[in-house]
Amino acid sequence: MRAARLFRLALDDLKRNRKHFLLASIGIVVGIAAFTFFLGLGGGVRKVVLGKIFPLDKIEVVPKSFDVDVSMLRVPLANEIIDDEKVAQLRAIPNVVAVYPKMKLTIPSMVWGGAKLFGNNLRAELIADGVEPELVAPDIDSSYRFADFEPGLAKWDDWKTLPIATACETDKQCRSEHDDDQLYCWGSDELASWRDKVEKAEKKGKAPPERPDVEALCRYYIPILVSENIVELYNGSVRRAHGFPKINPDSAMGFTFDLTFGASMVDSSARDRTVEAKGILVGVSDKAINLGMTMPVGYVRRLNVEFNEAADANKYHSAVIQVGSKDDVAAVALAVKELELDVTDTGAEQAALLITIFMMVFGFVSIVIVGIAAVNIMHVFFMLIYERQREIGIMRAVGASRRDIRRIILGEAAIVGAIAGLVGVLMAFGAGDIFDWISAAYIPDFPFKPKT
Amino acid sequence: MIRLRGVRKRYTTAKLVNEVLKGIDLDIADGEFVAIVGRSGSGKTTLLNIVGALDTDFEGSVEVGDRDLRKLDDASISDYRNRNIGFVFQSFHLLEHMTCIENITLPSLFARGEGLLDKAAAVARAEEVLREVDLLDKRDALPSTLSGGQKQRVAIARALFQKPKLMICDEPTGNLDSSTAQAILALFRRLNEDHGITLVIVTHDDMISQACRRVVRIDDGLIVEGGGEFASRKPALAPTPESRAHDRAADDGKPDPAVPVMEATP
Repeated sequence: MRAARLFRLALDDLKRNRKHFLLASIGIVVGIAAFTFFLGLGGGVRKVVLGKIFPLDKIEVVPKSFDVDVSMLRVPLANEIIDDEKVAQLRAIPNVVAVYPKMKLTIPSMVWGGAKLFGNNLRAELIADGVEPELVAPDIDSSYRFADFEPGLAKWDDWKTLPIATACETDKQCRSEHDDDQLYCWGSDELASWRDKVEKAEKKGKAPPERPDVEALCRYYIPILVSENIVELYNGSVRRAHGFPKINPDSAMGFTFDLTFGASMVDSSARDRTVEAKGILVGVSDKAINLGMTMPVGYVRRLNVEFNEAADANKYHSAVIQVGSKDDVAAVALAVKELELDVTDTGAEQAALLITIFMMVFGFVSIVIVGIAAVNIMHVFFMLIYERQREIGIMRAVGASRRDIRRIILGEAAIVGAIAGLVGVLMAFGAGDIFDWISAAYIPDFPFKPKT
Repeated sequence: MIRLRGVRKRYTTAKLVNEVLKGIDLDIADGEFVAIVGRSGSGKTTLLNIVGALDTDFEGSVEVGDRDLRKLDDASISDYRNRNIGFVFQSFHLLEHMTCIENITLPSLFARGEGLLDKAAAVARAEEVLREVDLLDKRDALPSTLSGGQKQRVAIARALFQKPKLMICDEPTGNLDSSTAQAILALFRRLNEDHGITLVIVTHDDMISQACRRVVRIDDGLIVEGGGEFASRKPALAPTPESRAHDRAADDGKPDPAVPVMEATP
């Protein structure tokens, strides 16, 4: 029997017995919808928990610490540093795909700004670290770049010697001159303020203030990443305490602020000097420091050297190791410990176990539903075959083989299954969207709220 | 030539074994017009199903030409039915949701090899057989709109669609009035005489059995009359008034009027 004839015959039968098939398909629709929905929900939770909260293919290593408590103080006795040699050793471990050292900013720093967003300029202590740009490349907003724009400089202020550092009056001028939106005019704010003061003094007939010793030059913003935790902390707590607006992190990309290194609200550096720069928010990343800002490691290295000592260029505080496969994590962790380093306990394995149990329960529920649907479909088809005994008998009499009859029945089942399955999948997507909407609208904000 | 030898058929349930055919030997020559008669439950329809290759689960052998039907697999035997046998049933067995022409072309859906026709050729052939049974004007009618006689003629047209060598008819006039039955009988005669189609008819209808050239009588699973006879002539063994009375009495559940029963053919 030709496939086209079979399909036509099966389709005719479906039309004729549509009530029966509709009943049968309800079971399939519900079963497939539940199965797909739970699969999607489980997958979403797994992706967030194992991909973002506890990324299992990446492990973070820190120097082994050995502290002694003396009264209120905890005195570190071990060297809390990972140097280039250790990084090289980590890279040599089998199944390690990449090692991304992280360096903490070890000088007092401040961040301030945000008048456009908050109404007033805010000032806060800056805690920062630096990472290799490759580690966070997938998390960078597509309109921006996360890179060290001032690489290889011996001194912090040497940026003024870069070809990009041309004289300017406004940010716009820098951007159009160099065709780059991540540029601003360093010093223009101070000069603009001086010009205002001169104007006011002239109006009042007073002597104008002296021109500040500033040369306005084009410069790159320092690209900054923040973690989802800090966004949630702000939206969940800080904004409520101060009556600030809630921030949509996607729209906050490109937000700029001032950075002061060498002094903070708590203390100033031993060098008794500060340097200024401006930062621009270019992404939200789970690899960014939990509370603070993350910038390309080159900036942090130069600042640490500038304010501390040259050896600081080689002192990392942790490293992220990317492992080829999740199965290799245990072996790599063992090798890390042999290098006198510790793996930070992220609870990933427990999370993975929990997620697996979660998936198994959902999977089991879905399979039970699909199983019940299958029994229902089987029952409906048995009923149909029983009712159509006479028809099947006629077909047999005119030359239909058992195989032909089987193909007709299975063809009908396949068409019902395909249509009902498709409807079920579409329903699952719809239910997923509704679930996402409900979770967005009614479930309180928490970091990494999963999507189905 | 259809040759049945030692055909036995049992229906087995958990509690009892019912032997319906107890050793049938029967030869039906090409072009014969045979009636199979007997009281209800005597095994007529079972025998017909075996001759028509609808039932292959039996003991003994059924040979058609040089082929033993029992040795064919399901696909081959289905193909054999499709190409060689036309069935006509008492209750017509038309598919109610299909038009006359769709019912008639039904065998073409299951045809293989040489018997495979494209749609246009199948419709042309269906119109040809509808013309043969004088129902061309009803080609697009649904069976529910036809009279009993018209339905049976559509069923005959379907049986003729694949140009069969053998037509198996199970009480073809059982649901028809006598004048319609006569018309159907005339059609059977024409098919037998003009087209040389072998007709095997199970019937309780005296008019039909008298018209057949040979009558095979079955009783309690055995042929008691007309077995093994080649009948290209007028039947030597037409039913007698006594035998007919015996059949009717059995059908009505009345006591057997003690008609002498012939021995089964060896």
